[in-house]
Amino acid sequence: MEADNREVSYLESRKLVKRWGGPWPAIVNTLMIFAIFYASWWVFQDPRGIMRMYTPYVGYMVCRWLLIMLIWVAYIFDFWPFKRSWLNKTHPVVKGLILTAISVGIMEILIEGFFKGFLGNLGIAYFSPDRLISMGVTDFYAEEYASEAIMMFAAIASWLSPSWVVACENAPWQKLNQPSRGITVMVVTFFLSMIVYFVTMHSHMAILFYPWQKYAAITPTWSTDFANTVSGNFHIAWIMSGTVVVWVYESIWERYPFNLIKTDWLRRTASFFGIIAVALCVCFFIYYAEDLMWGLTVRGTRREAAPDWRWLHVGETAIFWLVGVLYLAFFCGNWPTKFSRPVNVFLRTVVSLGIGIVVYVLYYRYAHLFLGTQKGFSHPQQFPMIPTIWLINLFLINMWFMDGWPGWKAVPKTAEELDRVHEEVVAHDVSWTPNLAKGLAVGATAGVAFYFGVVTILPWIAQNVQIIK
Amino acid sequence: MTNENGTSRRDFVKGLATGAMGGTLAGMGLYSYSSAAYNRMPKVARSGQEFGAIRSLKVTSISETSWFNNAHLVGDIKAAGGLLVNQYTIGWPPFGNGKGIAKTNYEEGIAPIKKMLPNDLEAAWAQQTKNSIHPENPGGYSCLLEVEDLDGSKHKYLLDVGWSYDWMDQSFKREGIDQMLKANDIEELIITHEHFDHYWGFPVAMKYNNKIPLYVHNGFYKEGMQYLKDSGYKGDPKIVDKELTLIRPGMMLMKFDVPIITRVFGETSLAFNVKDKGLVLVSGCNHQGILQMTSTAFKKLKYDNDRFYGIYGGLHISPFEDWDPKYDDLVFALKKWNFARVGCNHCTGHLTARKFVEQGYPVVRGTARFRSSSPDYLGNGDTITF
Repeated sequence: MEADNREVSYLESRKLVKRWGGPWPAIVNTLMIFAIFYASWWVFQDPRGIMRMYTPYVGYMVCRWLLIMLIWVAYIFDFWPFKRSWLNKTHPVVKGLILTAISVGIMEILIEGFFKGFLGNLGIAYFSPDRLISMGVTDFYAEEYASEAIMMFAAIASWLSPSWVVACENAPWQKLNQPSRGITVMVVTFFLSMIVYFVTMHSHMAILFYPWQKYAAITPTWSTDFANTVSGNFHIAWIMSGTVVVWVYESIWERYPFNLIKTDWLRRTASFFGIIAVALCVCFFIYYAEDLMWGLTVRGTRREAAPDWRWLHVGETAIFWLVGVLYLAFFCGNWPTKFSRPVNVFLRTVVSLGIGIVVYVLYYRYAHLFLGTQKGFSHPQQFPMIPTIWLINLFLINMWFMDGWPGWKAVPKTAEELDRVHEEVVAHDVSWTPNLAKGLAVGATAGVAFYFGVVTILPWIAQNVQIIK
Repeated sequence: MTNENGTSRRDFVKGLATGAMGGTLAGMGLYSYSSAAYNRMPKVARSGQEFGAIRSLKVTSISETSWFNNAHLVGDIKAAGGLLVNQYTIGWPPFGNGKGIAKTNYEEGIAPIKKMLPNDLEAAWAQQTKNSIHPENPGGYSCLLEVEDLDGSKHKYLLDVGWSYDWMDQSFKREGIDQMLKANDIEELIITHEHFDHYWGFPVAMKYNNKIPLYVHNGFYKEGMQYLKDSGYKGDPKIVDKELTLIRPGMMLMKFDVPIITRVFGETSLAFNVKDKGLVLVSGCNHQGILQMTSTAFKKLKYDNDRFYGIYGGLHISPFEDWDPKYDDLVFALKKWNFARVGCNHCTGHLTARKFVEQGYPVVRGTARFRSSSPDYLGNGDTITF
């Protein structure tokens, strides 16, 4: 197989070139993606539409697992078993259709065959709707509970799978050919996801049933006192933040600053745990911001004041940022690019946060007019992560499977451009100097001051800005 | 020299950009979820609005059985596409159109029965029995509130009107509500929210008194507002658009703007200040959450003994006998409010009632009459006095 022995992955090997000058590629692709988003939303998810998978958990599960499939196909398996020549020559639309169809097919096998069929019948009953129904749970909730569990597994995998590629650089299997490398990384990340699932989400599922399944799981979860809820949504919060930070690190941060570490094992370890650390920073900040804007939580209540919902909303808010991050990276050429890497990274972070906030405001102000949902921040059965991840899936299909068609086309990178790929993995453009140290000190002070400025102003914003009218 | 300066400046800027992000992240990670951060949060402010007091409140559960077969109801929701599907399109009576599940709408549903409302309810329900999904399943939620003022005078209010025309008419007759409505003994009707099981029986009340003063939440959708007219209501509904509306001294209507399953928006609930006892909360479904209601009442209202005394109504915890870990948070946290009497029923769920009892809460048991399925909590025809 031609793809087996490539050192550089297909995504790294290609350069996306605009077909037209100016902003037209971004405009055309954005319009196309939104048209496909709305059409596919109507067909698959919309509660007024055709298949109505937004039950909500069935649709939630599907959009999350589709995300994992796209990551597996493009990142972990590097499009194996398709040959590089096929990827280079086939029309992007044909590629998009075939690769998406394959992703959906594998997803169906995984959900129906592995989780519901195999695991649900031979391991853990709550993965199988049929088993739950046979034990007296109504059809609807049997399907919802099983979908919730399968969806939660996907949430973990959506952080760990790309993390192994991006942070750990596929180590120690980076020299293996495909499919050996893909299978190995997939199995390892799946295994790790299962461990994380058991220590985070299994408890959540175990207390769904009466009495609590205390012989099968730690009930309630060990994080109860810390998170002020027995719900697993605390874990959703930091794990989803992790998912977002992986892509922030990979795209707009260009793996900065951990790529400055020259020692392979240290860089990979620092990247992997650094992503978790940044994710926790994001997670705790968003939660605190919610408390500052909406007031202290009331444990046991519902809606905006409930700690479990606030944690969930941390993940939801982080995903809005991811929309901004990926849009900037994919459709705006990772703008800006003309400054040094640290400055580019800084500016992109600011811009992507701005996009994320705009999308957040637009979503809560207008989405209920289009998506068949209702206005309001907290709805017990509405999950903004469903439309946002659905949109992100379309971004990924367009950019990974379709080479950015119609606004962009893929051309092979030159040798010099390929060198820059390596420069992104191990960077040499920032070195320790006294002035760098001074800048770091001043910047850190300014950063801390900025943080306290933000948390001071947030209650005022909450009092004076009304998003939902 | 110029190059060196340029390099120095560039290094400084690189450090500045990196440091700014690092400093911000450090603040986010180290301070945000710390006790220091929460110490600076303002304490809960209590405005403590005085709203008078009553001597007692008697609640009669006219009907708390909103549906009789949970599997059918939840199955219909599943077949229609889940919990976000518009209730008027599911195909339940009285809005079925004979085309099957999730293929109807308000206009098609109301058309064949519009002229029969509100005086020929039997024919209307029989007609829609043919057109609708699981027509035998609807029941409804409704209760009678009898408020005794401090001077001993009594005032009656009807809270919600249930769902099935047949069932609600029977239930009204069983409790004498029909005669009270006819005689204008019931002073006002309060619809807590637009849900099928609380509101779709509206024509039954109209049959007996179509001018009764009426309160509805301003989140009613256009179908809901049209149903008022199509049911024959001739009064001028009071659209509740304020957080607190005083109904009478000691009786406050509280409004909550919350999106609710099956495309409903907003709920109103009642708070009563019972002299020398404390606050009693009465709800239809309490979609806002009972502790949201207690928290709001704690902040906004002043009541005797500064104590939460009792609850009556649906608490919307496990209405479909479903569960979520966050409901356990509620089961644990309710202890803090130290209610003396918990008269829950309806969408509270039997599982929740069982967990309440396990926690030692004073859940008032029922008699399981008139098709109420269990004595776990107050059932149809049962009363509770605060």
